Amino acid sequence: MSKMATVNARPLVSVHQNGTITESSISLPAIFTAPIRPDVVNFIHDQIAKNTRQPYAVSKDAGHQTSAESWGTGRAVARIPRVRGGGTHRSGQGAFGNMCRGGRMFAPTRVWRRWHRKANVTQRRYAMVSAIAASGSPALVMSKGHIIQETPEVPLVVGDKVEEAKTTKEAMMFLRKCRAWSDVLKVYKSKRFRAGVGKMRNRRRIQRTGPLIVYNKDQGLVKAFRGIPGADTIQVKKLNLLKLAPGGHVGRFVIWTESAFRKLDKLYGTWRKPSKLKANYNLPTPKMTNTDLMRIIQSDEIQNVIKRSNRKVLRRNPKLNPLTNKKYMGKLNPYANVERKLSQHYQKIKIERKEISRKKKTGELPARISKEEKARTAIPPKMKEPREKVEPKKIKFIGKKMKRTKKTKSGDAAAKNGKLHKALLKPGKPKPGASKGVKTGKTKPLPSKDSKTGKAKPLPSKDGKTKPLPTKDGKTGGTKPVPSKAKQVGKPKIETSKPATPKPSQPKSTPKQDKPKQAAIKK
Amino acid sequence: IYIYFSVVKKVRLPSVPATLLKRRKKAIDQKRKDLKKFAKVLKSRGVKRTETFRKAEKYIKEYRLKENQEIRLKRNAKKKGAVVVPGEARLAFVIRIRGINQVHPKVRKVLQLFRLLQINNGVFVKLNKATIMMLRIAEPYISWGYPNLKTVKDLVYKRGFAKVNKQRVPLVSNTLISKYLGRRGIICMEDIVHEIFTVGRHFTSVTNFLWPFQLNNPTGGWRKKTNHFVEGGDFGNRENQINCLLRRMI
Repeated sequence: MSKMATVNARPLVSVHQNGTITESSISLPAIFTAPIRPDVVNFIHDQIAKNTRQPYAVSKDAGHQTSAESWGTGRAVARIPRVRGGGTHRSGQGAFGNMCRGGRMFAPTRVWRRWHRKANVTQRRYAMVSAIAASGSPALVMSKGHIIQETPEVPLVVGDKVEEAKTTKEAMMFLRKCRAWSDVLKVYKSKRFRAGVGKMRNRRRIQRTGPLIVYNKDQGLVKAFRGIPGADTIQVKKLNLLKLAPGGHVGRFVIWTESAFRKLDKLYGTWRKPSKLKANYNLPTPKMTNTDLMRIIQSDEIQNVIKRSNRKVLRRNPKLNPLTNKKYMGKLNPYANVERKLSQHYQKIKIERKEISRKKKTGELPARISKEEKARTAIPPKMKEPREKVEPKKIKFIGKKMKRTKKTKSGDAAAKNGKLHKALLKPGKPKPGASKGVKTGKTKPLPSKDSKTGKAKPLPSKDGKTKPLPTKDGKTGGTKPVPSKAKQVGKPKIETSKPATPKPSQPKSTPKQDKPKQAAIKK
Repeated sequence: IYIYFSVVKKVRLPSVPATLLKRRKKAIDQKRKDLKKFAKVLKSRGVKRTETFRKAEKYIKEYRLKENQEIRLKRNAKKKGAVVVPGEARLAFVIRIRGINQVHPKVRKVLQLFRLLQINNGVFVKLNKATIMMLRIAEPYISWGYPNLKTVKDLVYKRGFAKVNKQRVPLVSNTLISKYLGRRGIICMEDIVHEIFTVGRHFTSVTNFLWPFQLNNPTGGWRKKTNHFVEGGDFGNRENQINCLLRRMI
């Protein structure tokens, strides 16, 4: 709020009269921009509220108006002092102790209890200032419970004519015109009996507090407003925290008369000028010049400097046994699965060989084995199989040609779901290989070369099966599938213009074969 | 002359508070940066993965070669009628067999130095004159021997934990290893196994990086902890028989 101070102009508060806004307006006194400290108000209210207390105590002789003495031990009675003499019920009864009937109470209340509290003047004034400032905030006043929905302005400043009100009727009319009457109505509705024993202690009825009228000169106002339940009146020079912050809570609904309002600056000062009517006093300076914490946090100066929030969720990575968990083992040692498969393979071969030797012994097989057989068992069979050359079948295209639609490139990339991140990497530039897909997932390990043959070893793959490496044609070792004839039923027979050139039938998706092509080329 | 007035529809943008717009822009910029970083990270990951793959392959060849060499030497010697004296073992695995009560201070100190602070704790130890003498002092409390490759592997994979920030952290990924041992050229589990098994230059760093192995009691039980292995008990050097024991303890 000291932004106001820096701007060198304060907002104008208009004076209300008879339900209308008069021409005169007053600039908001500096006190309304002072810091609101509910903690200070609460403390001071506690202290000050104790100052009107009347002492209470028990009689100073209560319980000691006997000459009781303990009987001592040996008489089969408790050692409590007992009343002397005889002839009454009272004789021999226990006395003095707090546990005794008719005895003195524990820690009898005394009159010299410290009833009043000192409160530092400056602190008291701080509380006062806070309470007044709070009364200028409609949010706080509403949260205190006052009905100010209809009131034209907060703080509500009213012409001086009110000070001359003589009858309660006038007062009521005034409040009605101010639109403060609903607050009084609330007071009426809240009239009830106190809960508890206070009822029998001359505190039978209770009610809410209503508006507080602060005036400069009493010319009948006090008596006029006496009859209005809940309404309080106070002179500006004698502002009372107990009235301005009843219950220790800030935000009472205050109606100021014009002259009272004008006096506030003189009473409490502005930061530039100290108070005229209080000796050596100026308004308390706030600890923060800008109290809008959210705004401060969201400001550029801070946002540009703060560290990123760490959204990383640290999860416990459970340790799994890699000796039994293949996936886990693969994570730690990518060669492990390859090793396992190779060893399994070699074991197979071993078994085969044993079979062969057994068969040799029994005579089922000839003693000598052909070179082919040896060669087959020496090296993994898949590698040595000659790649079958499959002649592309000449197939007539009966049916519509499939149009290859170009995938939209990065112009629309942002609009595509899930491709937003690619757009962000290079905004606005078309990516050449975008349709192929930049692999951001697992990168395949480059194939290593087998020691015996100079050829590349099979790649380790996800499912553990070794796939044979593709050739330059992009063909894998296998037969080409034939297109299903079911598609061609019911369509007009249109023969292609070039029957001679064979169109490789690739009903299964091409991109898979493009990739190894790329890999082969890249080599 | 016809003058066409194009009717421009004023498209009103939804009113969004400035802070929100700023935040969004920031978020997008940040995301862009993150993606760039992440791309780098992924690339390095890929590189590391290939490295670990190659290393693992290399080591297997190495181990096989060693084995075959030994066999070859023996066979050659046998042919000639000579004798091969195999090299003394350089690697030992030491297990603490006994508990912590009523331990002689000298033994206690030795066990502390070996980091065998708990019963059934095991550590890899490089064998030299110094360590052998230490093992001799602590003999009744330990059972040790020469582990083979499978034992080493099983220990590291199944029971391997790292000492990270004085905490016992499981060896869950190779990134942990490469972070702490990367500067010694050890980036994966296989590297650790290799370093230990071949007692390399960085043996001490690697074994120190590993928390002392916490093993199970052997299934099938001990023979007699209070006697030396040679006497039908359990403590002391049992050379290659340690592998049988560890098979039951890992």
